[in-house]
Amino acid sequence: MNRRVVVTGMGLVSPLGVGRQAFADNLFRGACGIRPIERFATTAFKSHMGGEIRDFSPRDFISGRNMRRMDRLSRMVTASARMAVEDAALDLDGTDRQRVGLVIGTAFGPVDIAVQFADALFGEGPRRVNPILVPNTVMNAPAGHAAIELGLRGINSTVNHREASAETAIAYAAMQIRENRADVVLAGGGDILSPFLLAVLERFMALSPQNGGDERARPFDRHRNGPVSGEGAGLLCLESLESARSRGAGIYCEMAGWGMSSAPAPANDWTGDPAGPVLAMQKALALADAGTADIDALSAAASGGINADRLEGLALERLFMRGPKPVVTSIKGALGEIFASGGIRAAAMALSVHDDMVPPTLGLTSPIISLDTVQTTARRMSVKYGMINACASGGTFAALVLRKFDEG
Amino acid sequence: MQSNRVVVTGRGTVNAIAENATAFAAALKAGTCGIGPVTVFDTTDHRTQSGAQVNDFNPRRHIPRAYSLKRMSRSDCMAMAAALEALAEAGLMPLTPERAAQTGVVIGGGAGGMLECEPVYARYLKSGPEGLLASPFAAFSCASSADHIATHLRLMGPKTTFMTACSSGATAIGYARDLIRLGAAEVMVCGGTEPLCRITYSAFNALQAVDPDYCKPFDRHRRGLTLGEGAGILILESLDHARRRGAGIYAEVLGCGISCDANHMTAPDPEAAGAVSAMTAALADAGIPPADVDYINAHGTATPANDRMEIRGIKTVFGARARRIPVSSTKSMIGHTLGAAGAIEAVACMLAIEHQFLPPTIHHETPDETCDLDVVPGKARNAKIDRVLSNSFAFGGNNTSLLFGRFDENGGVH
Repeated sequence: MNRRVVVTGMGLVSPLGVGRQAFADNLFRGACGIRPIERFATTAFKSHMGGEIRDFSPRDFISGRNMRRMDRLSRMVTASARMAVEDAALDLDGTDRQRVGLVIGTAFGPVDIAVQFADALFGEGPRRVNPILVPNTVMNAPAGHAAIELGLRGINSTVNHREASAETAIAYAAMQIRENRADVVLAGGGDILSPFLLAVLERFMALSPQNGGDERARPFDRHRNGPVSGEGAGLLCLESLESARSRGAGIYCEMAGWGMSSAPAPANDWTGDPAGPVLAMQKALALADAGTADIDALSAAASGGINADRLEGLALERLFMRGPKPVVTSIKGALGEIFASGGIRAAAMALSVHDDMVPPTLGLTSPIISLDTVQTTARRMSVKYGMINACASGGTFAALVLRKFDEG
Repeated sequence: MQSNRVVVTGRGTVNAIAENATAFAAALKAGTCGIGPVTVFDTTDHRTQSGAQVNDFNPRRHIPRAYSLKRMSRSDCMAMAAALEALAEAGLMPLTPERAAQTGVVIGGGAGGMLECEPVYARYLKSGPEGLLASPFAAFSCASSADHIATHLRLMGPKTTFMTACSSGATAIGYARDLIRLGAAEVMVCGGTEPLCRITYSAFNALQAVDPDYCKPFDRHRRGLTLGEGAGILILESLDHARRRGAGIYAEVLGCGISCDANHMTAPDPEAAGAVSAMTAALADAGIPPADVDYINAHGTATPANDRMEIRGIKTVFGARARRIPVSSTKSMIGHTLGAAGAIEAVACMLAIEHQFLPPTIHHETPDETCDLDVVPGKARNAKIDRVLSNSFAFGGNNTSLLFGRFDENGGVH
């Protein structure tokens, strides 16, 4: 099988707004979704900022009975799934639901519920744990809940690889459509902020303001001092071209290629060798039958991490050493590091390819890379090919290539 | 013409009844029970104290000193042990840099480094963020098993970790096959790993999903599952690649079917619609009729609801033929290893095909009218086995069925 895969919808619960319209408006006008964290006290931490979800009303998207059973991440994912279906104008009742799937990437899953469960177990003992919590302690809870709410009976999976979780999920989903195991797959992912996670991240990921300075995400900037954490969910509606055509769906762009690689890395940490990310991007280009000179815009994984951004910068400079180079942006300056951010980032790039506009890299003023970066304000330019790059600690890499849709 | 066939050239496992595939074959034939008292943590105040634990697991019996065990959890070590065994059996060790560059890893994960993190978490509850120690939490992520395997072996192919609870290991194998067919890698290390840990143990206890004594799949008096631990790994490669290097071939991966119940988070759909759809999709993917299946390695957890549902689903898919297909649950011997289950059971299927025997369902004493198929009670049997279906069903309604076949030079169905 070698079916073409297109993007026909998107749903987002992001620090830059809920739904495509709000997200796109804020993204391209250069709004910042990073603000002081309000949902919990941050007094015990050095980090106080986050790309937090506000103004999200899950009941607008989810039936009350199902919603009450859902944890916070499951609500974000399910709402995103609902929005993606509506954005794609997909009539599920008129569709074979066994051919509609869902693939979710998440780095930490419903960590708030796992923590509640653990608190009872270790604080009060095995007799005091609440069985009601159990279904929402598993990482595949969001995919299960969303499938129940929307009645999606096709392939359903949850993948996990830290910062590359959602890009990996999208690659997997696209492959299932290509292999004819599904006609439509909602794919992307999400993660949430929680006090426990902030404690862990602060201790092991060295969040901003590592080494002092003010707390801010500065992707690829000389003065970056660590990522700022974020939360949110984003899903694309991926569809076989024949399915999209048969129902006359609007098409944002084509999912032209995807590539994945690994490279030796210290546990939970970053390698200094750019071979891994270069390989993932090369594989994605090869599958898209495109060359480096074809890529107009590149959405980088850079989040302001000291070593992570250096690694990615080296990889981009090596891959695009010769010939025309893409314009580079990282929207993590506006979102924070959401970990499973690939759904949101791919949605942003789908909009770039569709609308010929590249969003800015907030927080970037003195770049460490020689490639042209979009800073402060969005840039209007022709984007025929857009690439999304993902790098995860522990040495996992993924890249996606989107192409302007062309009937031929 | 380039063939699309994907074959199994290596197998490895660590589980409660064996610490390698050869020993596993012998233990399955003997109907060995791996269920006993859990000692890796305190089980006081739980509904049960039993589990299928890997007793006296010593990573250094499997993993040479050249590989540091620093920051590796029990789960990571079991996965690494099984991976090394499978690669060695495939004749791929030592892995050349050229081959490592074309090799990827897909792991079905579960609790990851939870066992090691639990005491640290207890301390965090008392003393706050300062109580978090670096080294246990470095192994916390369920993605770390795939990371360690890739790093130690210097793999540069695709890497993914599936987290679909009890179907993770099976899904990982299905995806590894896709990656080879797509040309994304020449060799894939795939499977699953799962440790026993307090969080999982108390969760299944709280749900009253565990049998207080030991699990009795398909038995009228079954009361639930017994948790287990372990890892199972297969080496997959394209038939062309295996032939070029003259590798021994243990079986062919013929099909994979994945579906979602979209019905309930923890309870199986009594109508078995999702299970039927996964099994049907696997058969369709393989392009073989139901009549060609010789053995079904059941999900067979021994919860009242699962076993009833699964047998119903098998009858729906196979019709009258269901009565002539042996269906056994190897979980009766190795417990339910959750994220590793589909992968260890895949290793069991490889062994059944290689040695032409049916692994038994032990502890099966009283037949149940809702499970009235040939469940291979008590003792293994010799049988002609060419095609095997392996079921994995999970929380979240995630179902995966895999179809394996005895390797036949001329028998390509694709």
